[in-house]
Order: sequence, then structure tokens, then C-alpha cells
Amino acid sequence: MSRLVKKSPSVCTDMPLDNTDICEKLSLFGQLVRSCLGPRGRLKQVHNDIGGSVVTTSASSVLLSVVSSSQPFINLIKTSILNHVSRFSDCGLFAAILCLSLIEQDKRAGLRGRVAIGVNKHLLGLCTAYLQREDCGCKVRLDFSSSQNLIRLACSSISSKPACVLTAAEALHISRLCVQAFLLTVPCDSPGIVRLGKIVTMSVEGLSVLTSAVFPGLLVDMRDVLEVEAPHPNPLRVVVFSASLAGDLSEIGDGRIEVRPGVDMDSQVLDRLLELSEQVLRDEVKLFVCQRVIHPVVQQYLRRRGVIVIERLGVTLMEPLTQLTGAQPVATLHSPVPVTAYGRVSNVSIRQFGSRKMLHLHPPEESAICTMILCHRNETMLSELKVVCQKTEHVLRLTLRDPSALLGGGCTETHLAAYVRHKVRINLTETIPALGCSQAEYLLGVEGFCRSLESVATALEHDGGSSLIDLTHAHHWTLPPDVMKEDVEDSLGFCGCGLVASSPSKQWVCLNTKNPHISPAALSGGATVQPRVLDSFTAKLNALQVAVETANLALDVRYVIQDMN
Amino acid sequence: VQQERAFTFRTVSVLESVVLRSFGPEGGQVLFTRDTGQAMLSRSGIRILSALRLEHPLARMVVECVLKHSSVTGDGSKTFVLLLASLLRMIYTMACKKANVSRTHNTRDAAAAATARRLADELLTFASKELEKLIVMGVVPYGYSLSWDDFTAVTRLPCYTDHHCVQKLLASFFHTRLSASHCDIVTNLTCDLLTRWKFKNDQPSSSLQFVNDNFPALHTCVLGFSVTSSHLIEGQVIHKDFATPCPHTDNQPVKAVVFTGYLEPNLIVQFKAWAERSLSCVIANLQRLGVSVLLSAVKQSAAVLTVAQHADMCVVECIDEDELSLFSILSSFFVLFHRYVHVSFNHLDERDTFKPCSLVICGPGEGQTDQYACAFQDAVRMLLSTWEPTAKASKKTLQSNTGTSLHTNNQMCSVSLLEPGCVISAGGTFEFLLNHVLLQHGRSRSVSDGKSVAIPEVSQLLADALLSVPRQIYSHRMQCFLQTQARLLKADTTSKVFMLKLGLESVSCKYRLFLAVLQCVSSLLQVDTVLHTQSHRLKNISWEGSDDEADV
Repeated sequence: MSRLVKKSPSVCTDMPLDNTDICEKLSLFGQLVRSCLGPRGRLKQVHNDIGGSVVTTSASSVLLSVVSSSQPFINLIKTSILNHVSRFSDCGLFAAILCLSLIEQDKRAGLRGRVAIGVNKHLLGLCTAYLQREDCGCKVRLDFSSSQNLIRLACSSISSKPACVLTAAEALHISRLCVQAFLLTVPCDSPGIVRLGKIVTMSVEGLSVLTSAVFPGLLVDMRDVLEVEAPHPNPLRVVVFSASLAGDLSEIGDGRIEVRPGVDMDSQVLDRLLELSEQVLRDEVKLFVCQRVIHPVVQQYLRRRGVIVIERLGVTLMEPLTQLTGAQPVATLHSPVPVTAYGRVSNVSIRQFGSRKMLHLHPPEESAICTMILCHRNETMLSELKVVCQKTEHVLRLTLRDPSALLGGGCTETHLAAYVRHKVRINLTETIPALGCSQAEYLLGVEGFCRSLESVATALEHDGGSSLIDLTHAHHWTLPPDVMKEDVEDSLGFCGCGLVASSPSKQWVCLNTKNPHISPAALSGGATVQPRVLDSFTAKLNALQVAVETANLALDVRYVIQDMN
Repeated sequence: VQQERAFTFRTVSVLESVVLRSFGPEGGQVLFTRDTGQAMLSRSGIRILSALRLEHPLARMVVECVLKHSSVTGDGSKTFVLLLASLLRMIYTMACKKANVSRTHNTRDAAAAATARRLADELLTFASKELEKLIVMGVVPYGYSLSWDDFTAVTRLPCYTDHHCVQKLLASFFHTRLSASHCDIVTNLTCDLLTRWKFKNDQPSSSLQFVNDNFPALHTCVLGFSVTSSHLIEGQVIHKDFATPCPHTDNQPVKAVVFTGYLEPNLIVQFKAWAERSLSCVIANLQRLGVSVLLSAVKQSAAVLTVAQHADMCVVECIDEDELSLFSILSSFFVLFHRYVHVSFNHLDERDTFKPCSLVICGPGEGQTDQYACAFQDAVRMLLSTWEPTAKASKKTLQSNTGTSLHTNNQMCSVSLLEPGCVISAGGTFEFLLNHVLLQHGRSRSVSDGKSVAIPEVSQLLADALLSVPRQIYSHRMQCFLQTQARLLKADTTSKVFMLKLGLESVSCKYRLFLAVLQCVSSLLQVDTVLHTQSHRLKNISWEGSDDEADV
């Protein structure tokens, strides 16, 4: 019986951006994400009030999904960022910071909603068009003939997550592994539609990070497998069952079963299972895998005859296993296993990681399946490392769609801001009529947009240093807090992405001061110097779009209605 | 009685102030959270009103009326509230002025109430008798007629010819419903979609009806991208992943078969063996027929999946009924696409008549994609009611409450004078013109026919109420209001060009809107008392019955 419950009326908030409570929450949220950005970002420890597990993180995907607000306005921004991260795995914090500071800047400038939205949209168009141009000054073509740039891209992504607690050498090791695993999943010899393989990640706690490794093929936990006997015919025949072989009748569902006295159903089912095993033995199967439980009698029967039995494989490993072996899972127990259902592995061996013993199934030919073993000293760091490696894998995969990367270390943001300022100044008279606002309003909007971009670069610095921009290439530089005016040039070294070195001919200005107009020059002959920090191009482009769109949406909201039921 | 009346008035004014935030060119979005905690965004009047979860029965009645209206036309819910508020305001002022304590009414209030009720009834009678004629006379000459061929000539150049009518109509509709920055994209997408779904040699309404009916199966929401990446893809998208690895088809046509039941019965032991044998027979038969895709409405057993996989077939399970019915209309497909099953059709004999395609709506969050999907569907509804002014109008009057039964008969037998597909420029043009015509009409009547005093009075009242809409549209620049009005009244029917800049809206939607508002007004005024009754069994629940015709 359904109960009627009286619905209570909703709570309304008029003009949410003028509401002080919401503004305070927005700026708090802004501080939260700003403090997490970059390799020196501050870690956040998340507890919940019922004493669940404690999470230490600075990654946007983890942090934003645990932060919850009673304000739907904040949640709107949060879900937008989370949806972006779930698609692109990177640049979540960038999008969050940009979006929040756009809202703040436009509110501070006191622009009419419609005007601010129009200007933001126009400038977004400018930025995306520039980023997609071939001669864009902050874009780097990725060269797949060398793994250097890929490793740099991976390393930037890994080292921007300080909660993994990695030393420089460890970060490099993990980046190499990520790139190696990524390359293993790209099949070399399949014409037509390429189907990428899969990286199965396994984590082992308590070992040094440097013992982490990548293996082609699949590693499976051995629960109670005895020693694998050494000589095996090459390759081994494999059968994979997806139905339970426990001999139970669980899949019958509800309903009554009437059994005549004297009929033992269990033994009938077991007999059938043994018949099946006999057939499998006749077909010379050496590896017997089941997704679910295998009846102990059947296990014993098979093991006695030298078959390696793996049970309770789990649904996640089924797909990589069938891809690796070429076997087709069997679920029909009452008909003989068709010959086409068998698969192959070239060899099996045992690998030991700390206390964990694993069975390594070697691929029969070149296969796109590989296993990554991640080791770290404790659980929280390990779980963060696992997340980071998955993100890095995704970022690397995105390079297949568009083989480019953007300069990291805040250089893209400052460069882009300088470009926008320059472009706006040139085309001032042409754009204003189309936008339907006054020149003053337009320039205010532009200033807000550029400052928001630069504020992302500034957020990279957490130790009180100041952010500078050079007047030739518009790259981002960080000045440590206790440097005298005279030795600025020496203490700067390289810019954020490592592409430009400081030289006496260069001039710098502080980022948050009134900027002189510069036309950012692209670097000439940059082949000798490679940038040290790279960001994913696809992810950042989408993050930029999502951030501006979400900010526009937030600026457009006139009313908040909260259903209190 | 007096209390209820004041309350109605207050409620409607509050609703008006809420709706005004998202009305007109400077209007913005409203963010609301559902009881599930989901955040939704909208500029649609009806969604805002229903999200408020109003408690008072009269307020709920208003929301109900708006809902009824906008579910048919998909448009005009904000204008509805606006007009309602201004009409009520005028009626009250007039009623208070005219009310005299007579023998039948003891108090001044009662007299005012009776006058107000009488006025509302007269308004409704007048409108259902004369309004259509007046519109045809005074508004339609300034309008344009949409032709179905407009879709084919969709070009993106902003030149002012008749060919862009549909596009303009849609653009102005989306400007009232979405954030201004994405209206162009959405308009172009809608035009493209409708062009592709056009059935040759058929009524435009039938293909619009088809899109409207199948819209849930025709669109896919994708989160995490910007709205600008929304696009159309050829074929149909089935919103389920493959249950078995999908094959490489290399663009070859493949055969598919649809199942709605279980392929393997649930049996045990010996019977299981029989069931498996019969299953493999079925699959073998299908294989012989060259079928390589099984589409199933239910979840099949693991055995079915593996047997099918052994036979190189792939299975898609748990497909929505809507999608399967659309599929059965379109049938025969090739090309497959990961994540969702994407089928594209290759019907040689039908290729020249229409091109099946489905819409991919991208957005950073669920709130946005949902909003866009709603706006799309409402746009199709709006077009549909633009094309079919008669059929729906008579249906509507049938549904309307008994309070207006007197006029229902009248309406049903009258043949619509409005031509299908009539549109007029937006930005208050309709209201200005109708206002003008109403005033003229009132004057002429008062001259010719001395005894009926009601007509000029009523048309004056209606004309005044109408102006509240353009007044809100130009609320930020009042001089525009006067300029536009002056230009319109000076303009003759041939100089339409300047008006096109304002966008377009549908005349029949507007007409229906006025009728619906007037019906709502008269039924609101007929409410005398609201009885709050309490059920005995469920103490915490109160349900209100509004006594509709207490003293008619």
C-alpha cells in the first residue's frame, strides 16, 4: 500500500549571486580547490561523521565526489566538473578554479548578466580557435616515435598529485610504467578498426614503489593452487566457464520443487559436472577457469589429473581473460563444450609480490592485455596512486585522438590570457556591435576573463612566492618569497613549463598588477629545448569549455527553488 | 469569501513575480532541486511553477491550468501567468469601482465579487465568440504563413526572406527557454532533425507527430561535454551496451532479430538439458538465416549469451520498449558503435523520403541536458500546434471544466478561421495589434449598437490587460515599448521587414493561450469557499476540495 505523504512547499532564493551566504560558500569552495592545485598543492583529509575510511587526496575526482553541499548552486558547479573529469580524467581542478573565479570576477565587475555571458562566450570562442590553430604558441605536437614526450606528459600528471607521496625517481619510474603499459595496449598488427586492449591494475601494499612493474598477459591471484608442475605442453588449452559450477540450484528462482523420494538432485547435478570435466580432460585442457565457484569434488578431480584450476575469477577479469586467451565463456552445462570455445595461453608461471602469489598467464601471441602491479608503502597512498595511474592511462589514450599537448606549469594560462588581451585590443571596434554592449562593459568583461585565466596559474604557488609573466613569450614564472630585487634573474631559472630559460634581456612583471599589452611570441627553433611539464590538450580544451559554460550558467541563474521533501 | 478573493489575487501576483525572473529577453534561469536531490535548470514556466510545490488549492488550480495549456502547445506558460495576473488586477479594479450595494448583495464586497464574476463570464463569452474573428481581421494580415518547404531551404545566412520562418520561429522559442548563448546551435539542430525526419508527400504534422511521439527514443544525453558539441548522428541509438563482445562489421548490412521474451525457460536437471538443446536449435536456425544481432527486451540467461557468442552473434539486452518500437518501424541496420549500440539504417526504397537520425545532446551536467531535451520536445509541440490550430482547439474545449460548458458547444461547431501555420513577429507584436483591434472594435460596437454596454467595456479591459505582456518584454528600456508600438501602428501590412528582426511566434498558440487564460480567470472567480477537510484515517494528510460552482 502506498502512503500519501503531504508535500511541503519549496524554499526559494531570489538572485542567488547577491546572497551573502551563497557568496561565502562559493569563495570557500574556491579556496578549497585552489589550495589543491599542482605538485605543491595541499592535501585534504576527508573524514565522514560516522567514522568511515579516511581519504587523503588532492585529486579533483576524489575530492569533489566526497564534498557535499546543502546549496544546490554549489552542487551545480560540482557536478559539471565531476562529469568533465569522468570523461577526460584530467584538468578538473583547472576547470573548477577557472569557473569559480569567472563568477567572482564578473560579479565584482558588476556587469549585467546577459553582457557577461555574451563576452565570456565570445572570448571562449577566441581561445578555442587559437588553441586549435597549428601555430598556437602553447601547443606541442606529440611525436610517437619517441617515448620522451609521452613520459613527460605522464610524469606531469603523476607529479601533480602530491598525495601519492613519490620521490622524483619514483614518479619517473611510475610514469615509465604507465607509458609502457599504454603502449602494450595498442595492438600493432590489426588492420581496420583498432580495438585498444586493457590494463588490469593490481595493488600490493607494503613494498617499495620501485618494485612496481608491468607484465604482458594477465596475473591472477592464486588462492590455494599448489605448485605448478614445470613441464607443460606449449601452448596450453584453456576453458572458461561463466556459469557457476558449484552444483547448486540457485538460478531456479522462487517456486516450489517437488522431488520424488529416492531422487538425489545434488548427486545428479554433480554427476553432470563430472561428465563435463571428463570431456574437458579428453580435450586436453590444462587450465580450467570459472568466474564463479567450482564444486570441491570437481576441483579435486581436475587437479589430480594435472589441470590448473582457477575459481572465483570475478566478472571484471572475464573480459580481459577472454581477450587474452581467445576463449569463449561457456554457460551451458548440459551440452558438450564446443571445440571453438577453447582458448590458449602460451605459458604459465608464478610471480610473487610480498605475500601475494600470482599466476602469470602469458599471451599466446601478441596481445593487448597487460597487468600493472602497483606497490606502495601504505593503503592511502596506494589508493591514490591507483587512481592517478588510471587517470594517466586515460590521458595517454586521449593523445591517440589528438596527438598534441599543452605547456604545463601555468604557461598555457598566462600565454592564453596575453593572447586574448592582444587580440581584443586589435579587433576592438569590430566585435562590440555584435555583442550589444558598451566598450567599457566589454573591456571589463575581458579583464575579468583574463584575470580568471591567470588566477589558475597563480594558484600553482602555495608557499608565498609570487607569480611573474615575461614580456616576450608570456610564460609563467615563479619567484620564491625571499629573493632580493637584484637577483631575480638568477633565482628564476626556467619558466613553469621549462621551455624558456631566464636571460638578462628578459623583462618580467607581476601577474596581478596591471599588465602592459604584449603580443606573445611563439618560440622559434624550439626543437632543441623540450618542455618539461605538459598537460593533456583534449582534456584542457574541454575543461576550458565546461568551465566557461558552467560559469555562464551560474551567472544566468535568477532563482533557486529547493524542494524540501 | 473576501478572504479567498484576496488570497487568489496575492497568490497570482507572487507567481507572477517568480515567473518574471525568467521572462523576456533579459530573463535568466531558475535552478531547482527535486525531492531526490537532483539539481535541475529551467526557464520553462510550467517547470518552475510545479517545482514550487504550492500548497493552497487555488494556487494549485492555477498551476493545473497552466500545465494543461502548455502540455498541448508546449509554449506560453510564462505569458499565461503574466496575463492572468494583469487580467485579475483589472477585473478587481473595475469591479470595485462599479459595485453598488443592491438588494441582492448585502455588502459591498459581495457586490464586487458578483460583478467580477459577471465580468469574467462576459470576457469568456466575448473571447470565444469574437476573438478569432478579430485576430483574423487585425493580426493575421501582418503575419506570415509557414510552409513546410521552409525546412529544406535552411541556410544559415541571416537574410530576411520567408524561407527562414521556421528557423526564426524556433529561434525565438528557444530564446525564451534556453540560455541565450546556445540558441543558435539548438535551433539549427532542430531544423536539421526535422528536415531529416520529413516524410515525403505527407502532411507536415504527421512527421512532427512522429518526432514528438518517439522523442524519448530519438535523443541521447551525454554528460561532461560542452553544449556546443551536440550533434545529429545518422541512424538510431539504442541506449544499452552489448552484453557480448561486439563484432567488427566493416559497414556490411547485418540482420537483427528482436525478442521480447526469454529464450531459455527456467528448468532444472534433465529438463535443463532439454532447454539447452532447444536453445541451441533456435540459435542455429537464426545463424542459418544470417542473423548476427539479437535485440532483447528482457535480460537473457548466461546460457543464451554464451550460445549466441559461440555462433558469432552479439546480444543487446534490456532494451527500452520505446526504442524497440521505433526500431521495428525502421528495421534493418549496419555499423556499430561502442558504449551505446548505434544502428544506422539502409532502406533503399525509403532512402529518398526521409533520413533517420538521432540527436545527441551534450552538456556539462544532467541539469542542462535535461533542460535542452525538454525544450526540444516543447519546440516540436509548439510547431505541431502551429500547424494544427483547429483539431487541438476543439479537443481542448472538450476537456475544459464544466464551468464553461455553455460555450463549449459553440466552439466545437465553429470552423477555425485561422489558417494552419500562421506566424507573426515576436516582441509583443501580437499584443500590440490585438490591443489596437480590440479598441477599434469596442468603439464601433458602442456606436452601432447602443443597448449592449458590455462589449466595449469588455474589449477595453482585455485590450488593457494585453499590454502588460509587451510592457514586461521592454521593462528594461521603456522607450522601446512606445517606439515599437508606434511603428507597428503606423506600418501597413506590406512593410514586414523591420518586424522580422524581432523573431517570430505562432498566432494559433497565442490565440489558444488567451482562451485558456480567460477560462482560468472565470473558474478562479467562481470559487467561493475552500473547504479544508481532514480524513479520519490518515490524520496528517489534508486534502482540499475546492467547491467550484458553489453559487452558480
